[in-house]
Amino acid sequence: MCLLLFNPGPFPFTFQLSTMSGFLDSVRCGDCECNVDWGERRNTMASIAAGVLFFTGWWIIIDAAVKYPDEAVFHHAYHTCGVIATVAFLMINAVSNGQVRGDSYSEGCIGQTGARVWLFIGFMLAFGSLIASMWILFGGFVVPKKPVVYPGIAVFFQNAFIFFGGLVFKFGRTEDLWQ
Amino acid sequence: MAGIKALVGLSFSGAIGLTFLLLGCALEQYGVYWPLFVLIFYILSPIPTFISRRLSDDSDAASNACRELACFFTTGIVVSAFGLPIILARVALIQWGACGLVMAGNAVIFLTILGFFLVFGGGDDFSWEQW
Repeated sequence: MCLLLFNPGPFPFTFQLSTMSGFLDSVRCGDCECNVDWGERRNTMASIAAGVLFFTGWWIIIDAAVKYPDEAVFHHAYHTCGVIATVAFLMINAVSNGQVRGDSYSEGCIGQTGARVWLFIGFMLAFGSLIASMWILFGGFVVPKKPVVYPGIAVFFQNAFIFFGGLVFKFGRTEDLWQ
Repeated sequence: MAGIKALVGLSFSGAIGLTFLLLGCALEQYGVYWPLFVLIFYILSPIPTFISRRLSDDSDAASNACRELACFFTTGIVVSAFGLPIILARVALIQWGACGLVMAGNAVIFLTILGFFLVFGGGDDFSWEQW
């Protein structure tokens, strides 16, 4: 930034040019030396996305439970769906893909077949809870034409978010050590 | 070590964040102190990262999985700190203006905590003697 100094001398007026440094002069853009390895970053991004999805699902159902505490409006047994979905999430992410393929160093407690059975049951519970949430929404709220449908929608979105959070956490991360 | 300027800057932004939180509680038109529960989430948020750094002795796949799990839980705690004021406002325990102030305070505090980790927590040998 330049500042023109007015020199009150004799005619004609002379001007002096002096430069003042602006306070943004030393800011450099794109010079960030964050040594980001995009391969490594992918796992962190997937973990963050999965965390956002999973916990948003739970806060949706907490919101519905707080808004409609009455059993007649929001039957408390519908919470089971979200609990099973969380158990499924934990089961799916407890085994690594390497243990299922059989190419990890240690066999683990239950071996390769055990890991496959565990993962199979985990995915069945996950799909089952997603289907159950849709059933709850339509069978419990839409078809009987309940006056308040929001708890049903909340159950559905809770389970959908937990399901997709589980998928992102399972398949969004890579286990390749070198790429 | 990044020095005193970073420390002073981070403590200033921490004070600003807590000011937003307290304004959301103590202003005359609000007057209820329920939003102070988000302080629990502020305190809990760095703990998974500390645990995973403590447990990871070497950089193999197991410690990466631990770090990713810590990242997952930290994200969950941050989401919860934003979700709680929204729920409190939806049941009219607090007003929406207070909710907005609390969420602004949340953002500033979590950026401060992130700043602490970026400035002071880097390096492979994270040890308690740094303090």
